Amino acid sequence: MSPEHLSALWLSVKVSVVATALNALIGIPLAYMMARRRFWGRAAVDVLVTLPLVLPPTVTGYYLILLLGRRGVLGAPLYAATGWSVAFTWYAAVIAATVMALPLLVRTARVAIESVDQNLERAAFTLGRAEWRTALEVTLPLARNGILAGLVLAFARALGEFGATLMLAGNIPGKTQTLPLSIYTAVQTGEAGQAMTLVAMLTLLSCVVVVASARLGARGL
Amino acid sequence: MNQQLDVRLVKRLPGFTLDVAWSAGDGVAALFGPSGAGKTLTLQCLSGLLTPDAGRIVVGDRVLFDAAAGINVPPQARHLGYVFQGYALFPHLSVAANIAFGLRGRPRAEAARRTAEVIERMSLGGLEHRRPHEISGGQRQRVALGRALAPDPAFLLLDEPLSALDVGLRQSLREELAAILSDWHVAAVLVTHDFAEAYRLGDQIVVYEAGQVIQAAPRSELLWRPASERVAGILGIRNVLRGSVVKASHDRIQFRWRGQILEAVNSPARSYLPEPDSSLAFFIRPEYVRLIRKDRGTTDSHHMNLLSGEIVREADFGTTYTLYVRLDNPGRPAQGDYDLEVEVPRLVYEILEIGRDRRWQLSMHRGSIQILPGSLGAESAS
Repeated sequence: MSPEHLSALWLSVKVSVVATALNALIGIPLAYMMARRRFWGRAAVDVLVTLPLVLPPTVTGYYLILLLGRRGVLGAPLYAATGWSVAFTWYAAVIAATVMALPLLVRTARVAIESVDQNLERAAFTLGRAEWRTALEVTLPLARNGILAGLVLAFARALGEFGATLMLAGNIPGKTQTLPLSIYTAVQTGEAGQAMTLVAMLTLLSCVVVVASARLGARGL
Repeated sequence: MNQQLDVRLVKRLPGFTLDVAWSAGDGVAALFGPSGAGKTLTLQCLSGLLTPDAGRIVVGDRVLFDAAAGINVPPQARHLGYVFQGYALFPHLSVAANIAFGLRGRPRAEAARRTAEVIERMSLGGLEHRRPHEISGGQRQRVALGRALAPDPAFLLLDEPLSALDVGLRQSLREELAAILSDWHVAAVLVTHDFAEAYRLGDQIVVYEAGQVIQAAPRSELLWRPASERVAGILGIRNVLRGSVVKASHDRIQFRWRGQILEAVNSPARSYLPEPDSSLAFFIRPEYVRLIRKDRGTTDSHHMNLLSGEIVREADFGTTYTLYVRLDNPGRPAQGDYDLEVEVPRLVYEILEIGRDRRWQLSMHRGSIQILPGSLGAESAS
């Protein structure tokens, strides 16, 4: 296996792990808020989070360029201030993967949280627990399996991300070329044997994820 | 503990308004009434899980809620123990961790000592490390009570604690609950739609109907002197009837029913003196209507309010029979095709050969006829 392909594998794993961690950080509180709180703009947040699931990934990628590109809404001031842009860096791949994976985690975790008996939370309140403590000690532990399943889905989605990553991060070998992009490039340049190796690697990695998540799920409460 | 609980609250929901006021002292106050009357809603307002639109809730000298003064103590700081319907035990925590849940914030040694004490008093020794789904229904009830009682709450709130259980288990858990409540000397508010449960567990009974309190009284007073026809209806009292007043004095009321003059005992304490010819509601429990044995005659002086009629239907309840009797008096029967329900033990039914003999003379002792004063639309919550 060529060093180029090894670096694509390593980059994919790195991007997916970081994106999944970011998903956990953003997605679990978001799922809790969506499940348990009624706040202003809740419907809008729901739509915004879900959109990447239904839009073509290239469209989501295009929006990310509009937002974070060198001339983007956030990107332009950042570039003006620092001379640095997130586009075409591996961070861009992380952002694209995070945004694409978020709906899967939020939707799965939200259903799991909604299915927790609210009387258990009320019981915790009457026993002196503040809401955030109740979430940490009662709600999230009881929704654990659903949240873990959501994280596995998010990781898998991040690993397979192609369209939005290509738009925002480009396809720079050794820098932003993840496994799926590497496969695409190999096929485009007629390196069928190389493509096969990469496909096998991605399949193997996916199998590991599926088996690991099944193990996690089987442990139950 | 000398705690007084004063509740006055209004909560408006779409299509339903809860508007109640009552007080409870030591012992158990049972909120009793049909489903949907607002009992659980009241409990949620008491616990702070729901915010009333108006009113005031005071426990002892602590104001928990006062709409006018803008006071609304959060549930975390109310120090009330809440036992949920179905118990709501934390399924991911052990019995010991469930009981210790409300002791967070106390010194570790003290929390451990208290947990051990509660486990001991609730006879849960040996089950400390089990999960709620690994113990029996009775043990679960004790864990739920232990969890609520461990932080030593000012009041215990119990929401239909027995309603989800089978009849057999229900009775034994009811007795266990009664024993724990008296053993711990804890003041409690209990919600139930089962009158037997309210009567067995409640020192005082607050009767709910459609978001209002229609009577609040010590349990025996409620049973023997319901305030109104509505209360009698909710208690499931049979033979609730209407007559018209002939003469009322402090200790007797004479009234006309089905063309006959009947006499009932009036309660001097109640000073209920309706005008002659005004309408009057009363009831007589089916087991208090007496059949007069034909071989003894009617000359006995203890027979009063004599009636005669025919059994038109009967219902066999195993140990008792209910007879539906239509009086001989002319006019429409008081309750559809009959005037009175009469309940007799099976043995009496057999000895008197009621199965063959359908015509009977009946008597009603004046002490058995209960007058319902707050009736006929002119009632108010007491």
